[in-house]
Amino acid sequence: MTHNNCNNHSQGIQTRLTRRQLVQNTALGAGALAVGTLGLPCAARAANEINFWATGTLDIGDPGWDILKNESGVKVNFTDNGNDPGPVVAKLAAGNANDIYDVGGLQGGSEKELAKRDLIAPWDLSQIPNYTNLWQWAKDIPYLTYEGKIYGIPTVINADSIIALREKASSVDSYGVVFDPKLKGKTAMEDAWINSVTFTAIYLKNSENTKIAEPGNLTADELGLVMEFLIKHKKDGQFRTFWNGWEQGLQLIVNQEVWVMTGWEPIVYAARDRGVDCYYAVPKEGYEAWGNNTILLKGAVNRGLSKMAHQFANALLSGFYGCKLGTLRGYFVPTENNVAYATAHSAAFNPDKVKELGEHVKAKFAGKVYWQNTRPDNFQLYEQWWQRLRNA
Amino acid sequence: MDFFLALPSLVVFVCMGFIPLALIATWSFWSFDPDTYWIKPVWSLASYAALLENGRATVLLRTAGLAALTATASTLLAVPAATVVGLLSGPRRATLLVALFTIPFFTSGLVRAFAWRLVLGREGIINNVLIRLGIAHTPVEWLLFSDFAVVLGMVAAYLPFAIIPMVLVFARIEHSVIWASQDLGAGFWMMFSSIVLPLIMPGIIAGFLFVFVVAVATSMEIQLLGGAGASSISIMINDVMRVVNFPLAFAIATVVVIFLIVLVIIANRMLKLSRLFEDLGA
Repeated sequence: MTHNNCNNHSQGIQTRLTRRQLVQNTALGAGALAVGTLGLPCAARAANEINFWATGTLDIGDPGWDILKNESGVKVNFTDNGNDPGPVVAKLAAGNANDIYDVGGLQGGSEKELAKRDLIAPWDLSQIPNYTNLWQWAKDIPYLTYEGKIYGIPTVINADSIIALREKASSVDSYGVVFDPKLKGKTAMEDAWINSVTFTAIYLKNSENTKIAEPGNLTADELGLVMEFLIKHKKDGQFRTFWNGWEQGLQLIVNQEVWVMTGWEPIVYAARDRGVDCYYAVPKEGYEAWGNNTILLKGAVNRGLSKMAHQFANALLSGFYGCKLGTLRGYFVPTENNVAYATAHSAAFNPDKVKELGEHVKAKFAGKVYWQNTRPDNFQLYEQWWQRLRNA
Repeated sequence: MDFFLALPSLVVFVCMGFIPLALIATWSFWSFDPDTYWIKPVWSLASYAALLENGRATVLLRTAGLAALTATASTLLAVPAATVVGLLSGPRRATLLVALFTIPFFTSGLVRAFAWRLVLGREGIINNVLIRLGIAHTPVEWLLFSDFAVVLGMVAAYLPFAIIPMVLVFARIEHSVIWASQDLGAGFWMMFSSIVLPLIMPGIIAGFLFVFVVAVATSMEIQLLGGAGASSISIMINDVMRVVNFPLAFAIATVVVIFLIVLVIIANRMLKLSRLFEDLGA
């Protein structure tokens, strides 16, 4: 009897807990919907369709995707993911991105975290024959693997450094110029710890002999040193501003609001088009390299689209995509297949231009490079320090 | 009958207003789960404690300060503007003036804020004029990337939010009251300060609150026109969302919502904001 009572009591608690859990799960579900997009789960689509959710600059437009479809058999529905790794990871973890999209493309570094949480699946390289033609050092990028399996395929790579106005700063060869008191109020960095902390760490490691093991993945102590350095210079009025986005960065250079700033190489080309004499410096401390990597979302595997996703990843490395993206935006897919494709299709692409772009990127990687990492081990600590910098 | 008529609005209010806010407030007491990158129902005050660290409380106060400054400046500018529209203009001129104030809203807020960089920058219009007139010999640096630029950008952007409620209040003033005061010998300033101003006070308070609420929530002007890494509440929420610190983001949002609710209650109690709606249900 007592036993029965205990059982009943226990059942009662279990029922209440279940209800509570039900409410919590409902709340979590609603939250997931709120955090994620309000997109509905995939509508019926053809077996050869892949929903590609990537950085907007990876879009080659409908005419480009149509050619890729003719060559590979994969129809691509492209959606811009906003490029900011934070919301992308949040939508995968707590939103409905895995219900909607099949393949992702985002700045490297988050693969390990996503793989650990079973949100992305490893690539089966035997289904991606073009992977063998990928440049070796691109294959060797850290952050692509987890537990020996490959989760990220580098689809676009480049390396960033400093933009300088020739008339005001003619021979920049070090990140030190950004912190030079002689240029107080004439310098800027990007309003993103992913890049600005890494650039500063590269400088301190190489030119100030600060003990830093990996600028892209700082320990708590290393991060403290780097951020104290940045805070001191911010308090001294060194930075005119922290820029945010393409147009803002470009305007700072075009209107000579700043004379030097860390930034993206395409800004130099756009500023030159507007008649500004500026250049991209070759820093002795090395470049900050980045890879935009293709990831296989777990949702695609669950929906039986794994084979098609591999076919798509293979198509991205086949040469056409590299030629098209290079022509459209100057971005480079690290494979010799680009030149081979351009040579075979010289009416559509100039092989010399394609080769020139490849050689330009190769030259950057001939020296020292440090890889950008969107998810360092202490990523929440990075944000806390960034708040302190903002308030300094 | 009244209840059934109100039911659709009540459902919308509860579903789209109350429930989301209640969920956000509840989740702000949950804990971040590093295993799932989401939150788990382990009750904690950690997020509220974190609000007091790393200068986050300063950001809250600073944003409120900038918003108050913007709302004050907007209100001061809106009173004469609304007086011209509501008191000194006929229907055609009033329509034209209101249209002029609202036309800028047809362009993107981002473009409007960005345009200020071209006006206030080192090579901007103002610096060029100052240097050509010999008032300055080198560009005035603080015009851009400063609190001055932020407040200017926000006032320009949100001034109509202050003007419109005042114009609506002007429309409710009985002109016979004004004529009576003039018949009794009151000049314009006497009539304005002792008759008009008290009558439009609810519109002034409503305008102030509208601008304040929008300015508290904005990030555009601060990011585009503020100093290096200048922060605001919405920038801070974006920052913490980037590192999937959802409970902290929810805690910041909860504090802001509570602050704004308290502000509206105080405004209503002290300044009789409800007079705006006194004709309703009469």
